[in-house]
Amino acid sequence: MPAAATENKANVPKKGIFNNTTGFSTLITVTVLSLAWLAGFASRLFAVIRFESIIHEFDPWFNYRSTAYMVQHGFYNFLNWFDERAWYPLGRIVGGTVYPGLMITSGTIHWILHTLNIPIHIRDICVFLAPVFSGLTAIATYLLTSELWSRGAGLFAACFIAIIPGYSSRSVAGSYDNEGIAIFALQFTYYLWLKSIKSGSIFWSICTALSYFYMVSAWGGYVFIINLIPLHVFVLLIMGRFSQRLFVSYSVFYIVGLLLSMQIPFVGFQPIRTSEHMAASGVFALLMAIGALKYLHSLNPKGQWKQLLILGGLIAAVTVFLAVVLLTYMGIIAPWSGRFYSLWDTGYAKIHIPIIASVSEHQPTTWSSFFFDLHVLVCTFPVGLWYCIKNVNDERVFVALYALSAVYFAGVMVRLMLTLTPVVCVLAGIAFSILLDLVLREDETPAPAQDSDDKNLYDKAGKLKKRTPEPVAETGLGMNVRSGTLIAFMILLMLFSVHCTWATSNAYSSPSIVLASYGNDGSRKILDDFREAYGWLSQNTAEDARVMSWWDYGYQIAGMGNRTTLVDNNTWNNSHIALVGKAMASNETAAYDIMTMLDVDYVLVIFGGAIGYSGDDINKFIWMVRIAEGEHPKDIHEADYFTERGEYRIDSEASKTMLNSLMYKLSYYRYDSGGSPPGFDRTRGALPGLRGFKLTYLEEAYTTEHWLVRIYRVKKPDEFNRPRLPLAKRTIQTSNVMSKKTSKRRKGALKNKPILVKGKKVTKLD
Amino acid sequence: MKNLIILGLLGYLSIAFADKETLVLVDNLNIRETHSLFFKSLQERGYSLTFKLADDANLVLSKYGEYLYKNLVVFAPSVVEFGGQLDTEAITRFIDDGGNVLIAGSSAAGDVYREIASECGFEMDEESAAVIDHFNYDSLDEGDHTRIVVSPKNLIDAPTIVGTHNTQPLLFDGTGLILDKDNSLVLPILTADSTAYSYNPKNQVKEYPHAVGRKTVLIAALQARNNARIVFSGSLFFFSDEAFNSPVSKVHGDKIKSALSGNKQLSIHLSQWVFGERGQLRVQSVHHQRQGDKKSSNTYTITDTVVYRIEIEELKNGKWQPFEASDVQLEFVRIDPFIRTTLQKKPNGIYEAIFKVPDVWGVYQFKVDYDRVGYTRLYHSTQVSVRPLQHTQYERFIPSAYPYYVSAFSMMVGVFLFSFVFLYYKEESPKSKAE
Repeated sequence: MPAAATENKANVPKKGIFNNTTGFSTLITVTVLSLAWLAGFASRLFAVIRFESIIHEFDPWFNYRSTAYMVQHGFYNFLNWFDERAWYPLGRIVGGTVYPGLMITSGTIHWILHTLNIPIHIRDICVFLAPVFSGLTAIATYLLTSELWSRGAGLFAACFIAIIPGYSSRSVAGSYDNEGIAIFALQFTYYLWLKSIKSGSIFWSICTALSYFYMVSAWGGYVFIINLIPLHVFVLLIMGRFSQRLFVSYSVFYIVGLLLSMQIPFVGFQPIRTSEHMAASGVFALLMAIGALKYLHSLNPKGQWKQLLILGGLIAAVTVFLAVVLLTYMGIIAPWSGRFYSLWDTGYAKIHIPIIASVSEHQPTTWSSFFFDLHVLVCTFPVGLWYCIKNVNDERVFVALYALSAVYFAGVMVRLMLTLTPVVCVLAGIAFSILLDLVLREDETPAPAQDSDDKNLYDKAGKLKKRTPEPVAETGLGMNVRSGTLIAFMILLMLFSVHCTWATSNAYSSPSIVLASYGNDGSRKILDDFREAYGWLSQNTAEDARVMSWWDYGYQIAGMGNRTTLVDNNTWNNSHIALVGKAMASNETAAYDIMTMLDVDYVLVIFGGAIGYSGDDINKFIWMVRIAEGEHPKDIHEADYFTERGEYRIDSEASKTMLNSLMYKLSYYRYDSGGSPPGFDRTRGALPGLRGFKLTYLEEAYTTEHWLVRIYRVKKPDEFNRPRLPLAKRTIQTSNVMSKKTSKRRKGALKNKPILVKGKKVTKLD
Repeated sequence: MKNLIILGLLGYLSIAFADKETLVLVDNLNIRETHSLFFKSLQERGYSLTFKLADDANLVLSKYGEYLYKNLVVFAPSVVEFGGQLDTEAITRFIDDGGNVLIAGSSAAGDVYREIASECGFEMDEESAAVIDHFNYDSLDEGDHTRIVVSPKNLIDAPTIVGTHNTQPLLFDGTGLILDKDNSLVLPILTADSTAYSYNPKNQVKEYPHAVGRKTVLIAALQARNNARIVFSGSLFFFSDEAFNSPVSKVHGDKIKSALSGNKQLSIHLSQWVFGERGQLRVQSVHHQRQGDKKSSNTYTITDTVVYRIEIEELKNGKWQPFEASDVQLEFVRIDPFIRTTLQKKPNGIYEAIFKVPDVWGVYQFKVDYDRVGYTRLYHSTQVSVRPLQHTQYERFIPSAYPYYVSAFSMMVGVFLFSFVFLYYKEESPKSKAE
């Protein structure tokens, strides 16, 4: 991101010129932050410029659809919206199963703009919401880091978070998802929490609770906050850092935050009924107990009370713990959910909840994606962490805990890289600030005129803090070392911004509903098969037609095709998904029974064999089998779909069950494209094992230009009009006589046909 | 211009009378005379019969995608191949498009018959095989014991198809039919007695006959899923004037004698059924609403009481009249039926059910599936959604929560009083408080 890069460096000279002037330092802060906002916004526009202003991927389509519904029908109708088009025939109560923060945010923006007579389509608000919020995230990060360390570090952190790929992966234009606004809420809540714990004021605590409420309304990741803050309090208690400030801020935050979070219908009574939230209440009880003991202690501050205090604290902790365990055992508190378990045991989901393991973003993270998403910051943030631990205070304990837990979670799931990113930016900002401080501070003595500009930027903020240990060590650095280090770090940062731009542009800016392929001459070809298929559905099928597809495409069918779906990306009902998986994995006859039971009119499959698109249904198929097996272990066996040697293949070696499954047949029916030989599957690099077959219960309705989306119509029972006896079942064989009729002579034949003899007069008989 | 008008008029007329247009295929124009009583009864009921030889080179069933006939009668056992555009495929397509077919064969019938039969789910015995019954043959039999006498007790118990007053014995001379047991759509209208079997009367019995005893079906019928009807008789003689008029006297057994066979009555009933004069049902209207509401709605809330009304009509004597039955059921289905109830009969063919919607939300269907032998299948489904309570529909004050209400309000009062006291109470030593 060029803008960000220049601005990183640009702020250095600017600030120095106006030495020691608070007004100018504010000006510079504002300038840097607005440039960061601008850079963050601009770097997220690749998708819009390359393709068009559309909603991306899967979940955003649902968010967009419900936002549009809310804008059209009003908030209360949205809250009570019973969507009969999803999860047919179960339906879905959207208002009660959604985090409404995103919709309310964009709905509010829409309302404000329309009140100001700025007519803007809700879709554009949805598309550009995440980029806009990335700027707010940058500001929140700035505030958080300033609270932790210094304003200079804050500016660094703000610039980092504005462009870092780990965050922009979830917030490019068009990626209209909860995470887009949730990271802002997360950072802002943490900032307010630090503020309140520093000041111990009820005001800031209530602000924290309000911000927490916004976070709860926006993203399920709020559980991270409600566990991290109690953990912070707990660790502070263990460290003997109990204070009235802590007591006030946590108890106010916990009570107000608890009540507010329970106002979200989707969350409901979870905060007091599930194990995930129990840490917060346990710590609350403990804090109360210790507060009471401290009060007793303050009444009579004598020596023997100290042991009593520790003992009492321990007893209280044990009591609280036992109470929680007992309540869980009695069933009053729900035990940890499967998703939560899979955070501790990475193999858990694979065995027990295949539906979670089937999602690629729930896989463990590889080291390369750490580097890809965070680049140089992944190497520098431990430095910041080390400094925070070294110069520990109440807030820095928090950021250390934040960093450690986030690193762990990011290692478990790719998706949770998102929670790691902000803290990495914060700590890396601190690290860079310290480094520049070290390098530039020394310049003060030998060459004040030349380099004074540089030093002051980070100095000033740094001066606010007590920084005693460093200056002694610094004195040894020479001029060359200093400028060399400076240049090296500037180059590093430049490389960082180049990498960020490149990663955002190449890896994270694809809308994934429009694909692009590049020819040998570099020309770009747009493959718009998804929208072609959904457009076909919306134009050529009955209004209430029910479309069966794998759940990945549920939201898109509902959003773009406007048709009823059986399962979608809100995977709340595993058995229903398993039923669809079973239909896909069964042979045609068995699948037809399931499809008639579910009133399916159309089946939609994604087939990438013709263009080499690897994210197609055949590649996902084994997960359908696994999920189906979980619910129907008698009918579906995963091993049947592999060859004897345990390979997953589709060519002539493939198992019979595989070749007869509905998914296989729907993918390869009539398939004759894909280069030479015709019918070659370019994704799997193999020739399908079964070809030229016919479908009995389905008929092809539509196939898109590049065979990517194939839609089949399920025949209704009354289309099997007559109970025809097939030749094999007949007891009496008929001779197969060829027709003697020709195109000219159409006369049939009779046995013993009476022959008319001409030329005789027939006399009257009577 | 004139031609156009005439064409238009013709087109209009052909549509208007399309229901009664009938093509009769014969292998010999004599059949028109030998079966005149049957054809006459058809003509009296308003059918316009077009007689064609089965090998006519200009046979067509449809022109420009429109069928010229609604009904097809095939009385041509000796046909080897139909003429014109007609073949087994054309006939099955005719059935699939809703046409009714009456076919009568004989022991001489060829493979075309067998093909058509198999397409409809039953089979006709081999060529030159005939149903033989050495215990139940007619006195006029010529020695092969193929002119058999069948008791009307062997008729299927379906008054809509065979009528109610079948008391006279029936005469039959022809080949037997075999039915597929798994096939629920095919109906054995008339079966032979347990002493009958189907074999070539000229040959010695060497193999086990294809059809023996009561499994030998003499007349079979099929009502396809699109309500097209097919009656397949193994005997063309069954419909002949001779069979209509001749007296019946059994040689063996109970030696039943009757001055007149029951063939005429049964044939007329069968033709009425197969050409859709009887046993036709339709849904005239469906209405459902929340009890107490005026207007119909497509959305219900859980535990609503719903009134469902369906008006069913039956075709009687060419007019749609209210249908009377007491066994029409309604299902309220979401994958599985949550409610299954018998609809109450109200005047004018209206059936009504009042029930409480289950406490489970989702997309449901009202389903009426009335499938009775002889009647067209009556199926009607209406999709409605059952939604959970809205946020305003929950009870506002829960009795068990009154202690909490009391505590909340008493707390408010207490705080108010306390602050009042705190603000206006003059204390002697405020310092200790502040600490």
